Amino acid sequence: MPADEKTLAALALVFAPLSLVSIGGGPSIIAEMQHQAVIVHQWTTQREFADLFAIARAAPGPGTLLATLIGFSAAGWLGALVVSLAFFVPSSLLVYGAAAMFYRWRGSAWHTAVAAGLAPIAVGLVLAGAFAIIDIEEGSLLPWGLAIAVAACRLWRPGIHPFVLIGTGAVIFTLVTLLE
Amino acid sequence: MMNKSDNGGMEPGTADADLRTSARVSLLELFLLFSRLGLSSFGGNTSAWIHRELVEQRALIGETEFIAALGLCRIMPGATVVNLAVVIGRQLRGPAGATFAVLGLLLGPSLLVLTFALVYRRFAGEAIFHTVLEGTAASSVGLMIAMGLSIGAHLVGFGRNRSRGAAAAPAALAIILTTFVLIGLARFPMVPTMLCLMPISVGLAYFWPASRRDEGSDASG
Repeated sequence: MPADEKTLAALALVFAPLSLVSIGGGPSIIAEMQHQAVIVHQWTTQREFADLFAIARAAPGPGTLLATLIGFSAAGWLGALVVSLAFFVPSSLLVYGAAAMFYRWRGSAWHTAVAAGLAPIAVGLVLAGAFAIIDIEEGSLLPWGLAIAVAACRLWRPGIHPFVLIGTGAVIFTLVTLLE
Repeated sequence: MMNKSDNGGMEPGTADADLRTSARVSLLELFLLFSRLGLSSFGGNTSAWIHRELVEQRALIGETEFIAALGLCRIMPGATVVNLAVVIGRQLRGPAGATFAVLGLLLGPSLLVLTFALVYRRFAGEAIFHTVLEGTAASSVGLMIAMGLSIGAHLVGFGRNRSRGAAAAPAALAIILTTFVLIGLARFPMVPTMLCLMPISVGLAYFWPASRRDEGSDASG
């Protein structure tokens, strides 16, 4: 796939700002990643986006590697590299600088307020991300049914390892789809 | 035994004291350590692996230091584990340590996930392959919903103990719903929306914290 400069620049311009607002990590920016990759820039189709999301979740390492996969889809190896740098460097520099300040100000009132104020935003973003992955227009209720069932299991029996839930869910989903 | 600095008090400079007294670790060792952690962590429990390896087994960093670092890494933007690699790498070996720890954590998994993507390209036409991935994605979405709901319930104060210093329950609920509606349903652009919402939410938490009494049984109806 040709990695033209315009695509690479667009990838950097999308992912560098996202890096700095990804409060609470990967899940919080999935909604915006989907919007940019599928609707604004058409780097992937909705179907491919959901597949890459699943791949990033099933592979080891942080789920945020989804960003790297979008870069790869859009512009090959160079795209993957550009997105990785744009996405992981800004937030890392920020936390590096914050670490020094943090140890000095631990326990102060504004420090507590920042933590308390960002938490509900992260929760809202995570729930928004759920809507971005499952294709609503596809019309099938099966993915939503499965997602809700998995969520209920997780809340009901927190002791079950998440990977067992994902694996079981994928198997049930595949069987049900094949039988239909 | 070895980590004298563990009870080193809370005064400023604890971090730097730790930096000096903690066992030295070479950059290559740090890189390999985080590579192993990155590659062996499935399903987003990497922080727990890092804790086990660096605190319990190698005693490279003290327990209190780790908890404080984890708290910081959770509130800052960026993936929590990547941030943790930055902060712990910095504690142990300064800027070079942070760089090598992050490279270790990300390089192996990146190459692996890209290999998966190449395999995916080859088999994307196969319906069954897509179906398995769709099931995996839907299940993962279920986990995200569960995480959002359980942390959200915690912040809004249903039942159990609320986090210390949380915002008042109505404020937290309003922010959760506003964020969800604007980003998830109305699909506002995220960066400007965050730049507006973050100061509002932090301001609310500062001027309207949950009172101590709220933290008991009262779910603030």
